[in-house]
Amino acid sequence: MGVFLARRIAQGLVVVGLVATIVFLLIHAAPGDPFSASMDNPSISDAVRASWRRAYGLDRPLTEQYARYVVSVFRGDLGFSFSLQRPVVSALGDALPNTLLLMAAGLIGGFAAGVGAAVTQVRRRGGAADRILGGLSLTFFSVPDFWLALIILVAFAYWIPIFPIGGAADPVMYDMLGTGARLLDRLEHLVLPALTLTLLYFPLIARHQRAALLDAIPSDYVTTARAKGVPESAVINRHVLRNALLPVITLLGVAFPALLTGAVFVEKVFSWPGMGLLIVNAIQSRDYPLLVASVILASVFVVIGSIIADVLYRWLDPRMRDEL
Amino acid sequence: MSAMRQALAIPVLLFAVGACSGNSRDRADNAGGTLVISVGGDPESLLPPLSSTVPSKIIGDLVYDRLAEIGDSMNTVGDAGFRPRLAKSWTWANDSMSIAFHLDSSARWHDGVPVRSGDVRFTYHLYSDSTTGSPFAASIASIDSVTTPDSVTAAFWFHARSPMQFYDAVNTMSILPAHALEGVRGTALRTSAIARAPIGTGRFRFVRWSAGQSIQLAADTTNYRGRPGLDRVIMTIAPDFNAALTRVLGGEADMLEQVPATSLAELARDTSLRAELTPGLDYNFIQFNLRDPKRRSRPHSLFGDRELRRALTRALDRRRIVQNAYDSLASVAIGPTVRAYPTTDTTLRQLPFSPDAARKTLDSLGWKDSDGDGVRDRSGTKLKFNLAVPGSSKARNTMAVLAQEQLRQIGVKVNIEQLDFAAFIDRETRRDFDAVVGGWHVEASPGGIRQTWGTPGSRATSGSNYGSYENPAFDAQVDSALSAGSFGSRRAHFTSAYQAIIDDAPAIWLAEPKRIVAVHKRIVMTGLRPDAWWANIAEWTIPADKRIARDHAAPAR
Repeated sequence: MGVFLARRIAQGLVVVGLVATIVFLLIHAAPGDPFSASMDNPSISDAVRASWRRAYGLDRPLTEQYARYVVSVFRGDLGFSFSLQRPVVSALGDALPNTLLLMAAGLIGGFAAGVGAAVTQVRRRGGAADRILGGLSLTFFSVPDFWLALIILVAFAYWIPIFPIGGAADPVMYDMLGTGARLLDRLEHLVLPALTLTLLYFPLIARHQRAALLDAIPSDYVTTARAKGVPESAVINRHVLRNALLPVITLLGVAFPALLTGAVFVEKVFSWPGMGLLIVNAIQSRDYPLLVASVILASVFVVIGSIIADVLYRWLDPRMRDEL
Repeated sequence: MSAMRQALAIPVLLFAVGACSGNSRDRADNAGGTLVISVGGDPESLLPPLSSTVPSKIIGDLVYDRLAEIGDSMNTVGDAGFRPRLAKSWTWANDSMSIAFHLDSSARWHDGVPVRSGDVRFTYHLYSDSTTGSPFAASIASIDSVTTPDSVTAAFWFHARSPMQFYDAVNTMSILPAHALEGVRGTALRTSAIARAPIGTGRFRFVRWSAGQSIQLAADTTNYRGRPGLDRVIMTIAPDFNAALTRVLGGEADMLEQVPATSLAELARDTSLRAELTPGLDYNFIQFNLRDPKRRSRPHSLFGDRELRRALTRALDRRRIVQNAYDSLASVAIGPTVRAYPTTDTTLRQLPFSPDAARKTLDSLGWKDSDGDGVRDRSGTKLKFNLAVPGSSKARNTMAVLAQEQLRQIGVKVNIEQLDFAAFIDRETRRDFDAVVGGWHVEASPGGIRQTWGTPGSRATSGSNYGSYENPAFDAQVDSALSAGSFGSRRAHFTSAYQAIIDDAPAIWLAEPKRIVAVHKRIVMTGLRPDAWWANIAEWTIPADKRIARDHAAPAR
């Protein structure tokens, strides 16, 4: 297992390095620079813009900028955000916990809803529940992230106004709440963005899980269990589901990029102060250090997700352990 | 608010009411309440010399003070109409080469330290120091030095006499606390504690900035200019416009400062809100590139011709275009200026809409549709051009499409290039375009026109006259206007300058949008200044009988 992990981590580092390099080159190749927006202000002189570029090393050749960036990353310094006027590490430090919280809620919600829906569909195969859940799954699988987030926003703003519709905490009351009430306030603010991510993620799980369950049902061990008189619900839940979880576990690896992509839109619509917002703002403002650092972080998560999926897969399926 | 939240709020409210009972004098003054403003993003910094975005400016202007504040008349000549702030009075030298500002000796920084003339001198040095990299340094270039004859007097010395001396001295600089910034220079300023937690003298003091979420200010109850009418001002950050609007319509925020015309109907349906329309300081236009983008030494093959530009201008029904893009929420632009300036003559002679006259002019210039494909040509060259527009602006895109259609009707082909904003600015500043749908947000003073439409702005590499319009008569009138000592003379010179540029048609002036502010009806406002709608927030109030739960939740200070 140690060798396996070391190899996967090494592969992951190469992937992260490549992604960071490509993003660094692409964002620098795009027209405009972090100070383009200031061109719209005639009172800002060229000398001032030049001094800004000099202060941030943007007047140096691209190769030198890249080399400096790599060295600073290895020192743990991810640079200084032009648009936020603060160290990138500090900006990420504020945003990352919020995104992790949101993604964890979306992952757990999506996984639970997806597996639950698939099991229900398989147990009632061909029935109304199967068709309704299949339809819902297809619908949510097809809707654009941004649109779904807006619909939920509007629905809970006007028709069912029981949850706050923006931010991660109540900007007016939060300071005056006790610890328990603050926790509740944070949870209330989490509900709508997490619900949106759950609805976006659950169809992926449900569709894969349903297919995996249907693949597993004709297996000999299922026939044996049924022949031994095991009730159908126990057959599905204890025997089929455990084996059919394997393909879904691998989805964990791709869940991170999918969730992160979804989070970008969800965070924007619900003003959730996480990584998604940072990335969108960094792209709009050509904030090179912030964007590259955000992508590095996102790719680290993808790598971690994929390693976790591999480990889980090997844990659940003993045959995989023998392959190494 | 959910039932559980309401239940939780009750003890908080009871506490707040109890806590406030000792402030009966304040209550008698009818001060109180919380104003929640929805803004589009975090400020980049809360240090005024380094910040230029709207959220930064709002916070900066509420927390810090200038020496004096421009008045509602928007006069920028001399000191007429300016209101005392940190300076309770000022004295002009006999030769007008200096102005002595007498500070209010009772003014205190929010940390309790008295404000002294050394703070003013320090502020001037900080803004003008090249290592600070302040975008505002050029605005105070007319000031030679600041001296401190005594602890409450700061004298500004100028390089030369000008009608704008007073404006230059007071409008740019928010006075900063020397004791909190001493020794901090250059890039260190950006990471200094005060850049994220300002210490000012304004009637609101900074409380907290939760990155990406909100910024909270509270009334400075012992302020030298008196307690503000509100207990708190909270800016909540909603980067998506639809989300921001929903927050206002849903009651989570009291105010949205920039509502597009397309959302006004939705706003009108909510009886708890009202829309405030104020004159803006923006105008937009189709700007022609008068030089060849590939070889700037020669004129543009189409737009180098003044008569052709005038013909294109006459082909556009600007009124219809503006109505379609903005309904009634914008006026047809009258030139490179805005109606909010007292120096703008709104009766300037325009090139009238007349497609027939435009066709005749193009015919006379030799542009005819020789092959019957609907596009005029001359010597094998089609009368067509690219029109760049930033994709982020719905109004500008609408106007581009309508202009394209109207020009098609006179045989001119327009290809619209929709660009990402950074790419648009990049193309514009490199002057690599045929025509753009541009826009300017102007300052309180019309002086910026030198940079945007004058020869200096055309020839300097950093100039903002991207279309390279150059007319010595226009430049001379602008220079005369800016150096004129009397309001009448200033206005007359500006009128001549505007008329010259309208006649030359280096651009087709399209719209001058009004600012639409959505605000809850319980907020009593005292006027929105065109250059800074937030300038009078300290005077706004919420009547006691109209306050809602969050108004009572403010802690007593």
